[in-house]
Amino acid sequence: MNYSLSQPSETLSRKILSPVPFKARFPAGRLKPPVGIMPGDVRSLPELHLFLEPDNASLPGINLKALPEWIEVSIGDKELAEAIRAIVDTTVNYVEDCLRVHEVVRYRLDQAHGIIKETKV
Amino acid sequence: MTSYGYAGKILRLDMTNRKAIAIDTEPYRRWGGGHGMGSALFWDFCKDKTITDGRHPANVCCVVTSPLCGTIVPSAGGRCEVVGVGVGQYPVSWFTRTNFGGRFSTMLKYAGWDAIVIEGKADSPVWVDIRNSKVIFHDAQDLWGKDTWATQLEIRDRIKIRRGTKTHWQDLQALPLAESDESSGEDVGRTTQKPAILCIGSAGENQTCHAALIHDAGNGAGQGGLGAVWGSKNLKAISVIGTGGIKVADPKTLLKARMITKEKYVTNWQAPDFQAWTRIGGLPKPIVQAAMPTDERRPQSCQGCINGCRSRYNVGYGNESACQETFWYGPYVRKVAKSRAEDTEINLKGADIVQKYGLNSFVLQPGLHWLEHLYEEGVLGPGRSIPSDLPWELIGTLDFAEKIVHALSTRKDIGADLADGWVQAALKWGREEDLHTGALQFSYWGVPEHGYDPRAELEWGYGSLMGDRDTNTHCFNYIFTNVSAAFAFGKPLRIGAEEMAKLHAKKMSPYAKDRPEVLDYSDANMYSEAVAQTVRWQQHYCRFYKNSALYCDLKWPDFVNTNVPDLEGATAASDAGEHVFWNAVTGDTLSFEDGIEIGRRIWNLDNAIWVLQGRHRDMVHFAPYVYKTVYNKGEVFPFFMWTCRDDKGKWYYKDLMGRSLDRAKVDEWKTIFYQLEGWDIKTGWPKRSTLEKMDMGFVADALASAGRLGEEAS
Repeated sequence: MNYSLSQPSETLSRKILSPVPFKARFPAGRLKPPVGIMPGDVRSLPELHLFLEPDNASLPGINLKALPEWIEVSIGDKELAEAIRAIVDTTVNYVEDCLRVHEVVRYRLDQAHGIIKETKV
Repeated sequence: MTSYGYAGKILRLDMTNRKAIAIDTEPYRRWGGGHGMGSALFWDFCKDKTITDGRHPANVCCVVTSPLCGTIVPSAGGRCEVVGVGVGQYPVSWFTRTNFGGRFSTMLKYAGWDAIVIEGKADSPVWVDIRNSKVIFHDAQDLWGKDTWATQLEIRDRIKIRRGTKTHWQDLQALPLAESDESSGEDVGRTTQKPAILCIGSAGENQTCHAALIHDAGNGAGQGGLGAVWGSKNLKAISVIGTGGIKVADPKTLLKARMITKEKYVTNWQAPDFQAWTRIGGLPKPIVQAAMPTDERRPQSCQGCINGCRSRYNVGYGNESACQETFWYGPYVRKVAKSRAEDTEINLKGADIVQKYGLNSFVLQPGLHWLEHLYEEGVLGPGRSIPSDLPWELIGTLDFAEKIVHALSTRKDIGADLADGWVQAALKWGREEDLHTGALQFSYWGVPEHGYDPRAELEWGYGSLMGDRDTNTHCFNYIFTNVSAAFAFGKPLRIGAEEMAKLHAKKMSPYAKDRPEVLDYSDANMYSEAVAQTVRWQQHYCRFYKNSALYCDLKWPDFVNTNVPDLEGATAASDAGEHVFWNAVTGDTLSFEDGIEIGRRIWNLDNAIWVLQGRHRDMVHFAPYVYKTVYNKGEVFPFFMWTCRDDKGKWYYKDLMGRSLDRAKVDEWKTIFYQLEGWDIKTGWPKRSTLEKMDMGFVADALASAGRLGEEAS
C-alpha cells in the first residue's frame, strides 16, 4: 500500500524509532478470552506496530480515536497522525481499522529505517 | 462402601505421625464430591477454624475428586478440587478453593480413593507414594529444592515405573518399596500407566502466597497459595498409581447422553461453524495466548475432555501450558521481541518457568504492571525507597522473567515482602494510595482483578466479593467476549440482547427462571435484587456442578448454543444436561434444581467457615479504586458489551466501560443478597432456621457455640 506520507527528516526518523518516557506512554490492553482484558501500554511506534500485529488468540485494545493525538504530541509525527485520523474517520470496523493502522505504521517505520540507514552510509 | 461413581474410601494423611488412615466416603456423599466433600472434610477435621493463615499447622488441605472423574462425561472427567485455608489474602486469608486438571483425580480413583485429607505437619520433608491401597511416606530431603518437573521425573525414577504397552504391563507388586515397608504378598495390580504426581516447587517450599500445586508439565492449582500450605506441612509431593476402575450406574444412558452431546450440541464436523456461540459445542481448540510456536503439535487435555486446550510441541517448550500462564509476561515481551516467533518463544518459556517454580502467574498479570509503574516512577529499583536489584531495564526478556520468578519464589529481593501478600506489601511500602488510584488492581480479598472488571461485569465482581477469592467462573462472561468480538469485527450478532437474556433465564432455575431482567447489567439495575439472583445462581451452580461435580469451567454451563435450532444449550437439558450425566454415573435421581440446592448447601457451609474465621459484613468490600475511579473507556479495550435495558425497557448490548461502583449502594445490595440467602443482614452470618432447613443444624450449633450465629429477627 502506498501512502501520501512524505519522507521523514533524520530527526523525525529518530523520534519515530525511539521510545517516549514512561509518563508519555499510551494505554494499550489486550483481550484474551478466557483470561480477560490485560493491561499494558506502548511507548514507541515499533512497539505499536508489534502490538497491532494480528494473531488468532487475542484482540488488541486501543483507543484509535485518541491515538493520533499521542503520535502527534508524544512522537512528534503530525503526518502519521493525520493518516491515522483519516483511517478512523472512514471506519470500517474496529478490527479492520486496527489492521489499516498497523499497515500505515509499518510503512512509516520502513521510511524511518530507510532514512537512518542512508545517514549511516 | 463402593457405590457408583465413587471409589468408596478417603485417605487421611497424618503428616505429624506419618500415618495413613482410610475412612469411608459414605458420610460425605451428600456433599457430592470435589469442593462440597472437601468443605465437609475440612469442617470435620480442622479443629481450629479461626485460623486465617493457611500455613498454620492446624490447617487441613483436602484434594478431592468427583464421581465423574475418570468417566466419559464431556469435559468433566479430569478435574481435581483442592481446599483449605489459603495464604496471602487481605485482610485475612479465607478458607478457599483451587482446582487443576490432568489425570491426577482419575488415577486417585483408580487407586481406590475419592479424596486425600492432609493434616498436621511433618518434622522434615516427605513425599507420599500411593499404590492402590498401599500408602508409603518417603523422606524428601533430597527432593527439597528441586523444581516441579525434576521432582516428578525423580519420583518416577525412584518408583522404577516403566512406560507400559499393551504387551508390557507394569506389575505394581514388583516396584521397590521403602526399606521399612514389607510386601503384604497380595496382588496389587498391573498397569500400563505412569503415576500421577502433584507437587510443589520453590514457591511452595518457601511458603509464598504465589505457590501453586503442579501436576505433570502444566496442570496447576494456583489460586489461594495452597502450594505454600503443602510447604508448611513439609509435603513435597504425592504420587499415585492405581489399577482399578470406576463403576457406572447406567452406562447406556451415559453413552446416549454423550452421543447426544456430540450429535446435537457440538458443531458439525462436516460443516463446522467456526463462529458458533456455545460453550460445550465449540470446535476443539488450544487456549494458548501466544501465537502457536509450530504446526508440529499434538493436542493435550485433561482426561476425558472433548477440547484439548493444551498442546505438546516438537520445539520442546510450552508443553501442556495453557491460558494465562502462556501470556503472563506478554505485554512486556512485545516490547522487546524482534519477531512474532521470538514473542511466542519467550512467552512459552516464561510459562515453563512458572510451572517449574510452582508459582501462580496470575498475580503477575496486574502485579507486574504495578511493579513496572513503581520502577518507572523512580520508587522501586537499586538504591530507591523500595530497593530491588532485579534488572528492571531488561523487563520483557527471558532473563528478567527467570529472575523475577526466582525472587518471588524464594523470598529474595522484593519477593521477601511480596511473599506474604501484595496488598500487605503495598501497605508496608507506603503505597496505600495505589489501592485508591487503581495503580494496584487487586479488587477483592487482596487478589488480582481477573481481566473482567467488577465495575462492568457485575456477576464476576459481586461473586468474588461474596465468596473468598477471584471467582474465576466464566458462566456468563462469554456474552461479553462473543458480543464484543462481533462488534469489533463488524459481524452480525448471532443472538440479539433480548433473546440472549431470555435464553439464559430459561436455564436459571430456581431463582431466576424466566426472569430475563437478571441479566440487565445497566446502571439502573446494577444494585438490584435481580442481579443478586444471578450472583446466587452462579455461586450455587458452581459450588455443585463446577467445583464439586467438577465440570470444566471453560465448557459449562452451556446456556445458548447456535448449533441447535432453538438456540437452547445443553445446560439443564433433559437429554444431555449436567444432572443427566451425574445420574447416569451415580445412579442418583437428581433434578437440575436438586444440584443447585446441593450447591446452596455447600455455599452455606463455606460461609459458616468464613464466619468462624471472623467474617462480618463490614469486611465485605471491594478495593477502594473500584469505588473511586471509573473503568475508563478506551484505556485498555474499546468496549465492554453487555445485555442491558434502556429506560423504556428495550434490550440492547451496551458498552459498560466508564462507570464505577457506589460504595453505599454496594452495601445496600449486600443486604438484599443476605436476605435472599437467609443470612443475618446485620452481620452476614447464617441463621439457624436457614441452616436447619438444609439439614445443617450441626453447623448452626457450631456457630452458636462460637457466638457467631445470625439473629433470626434480622
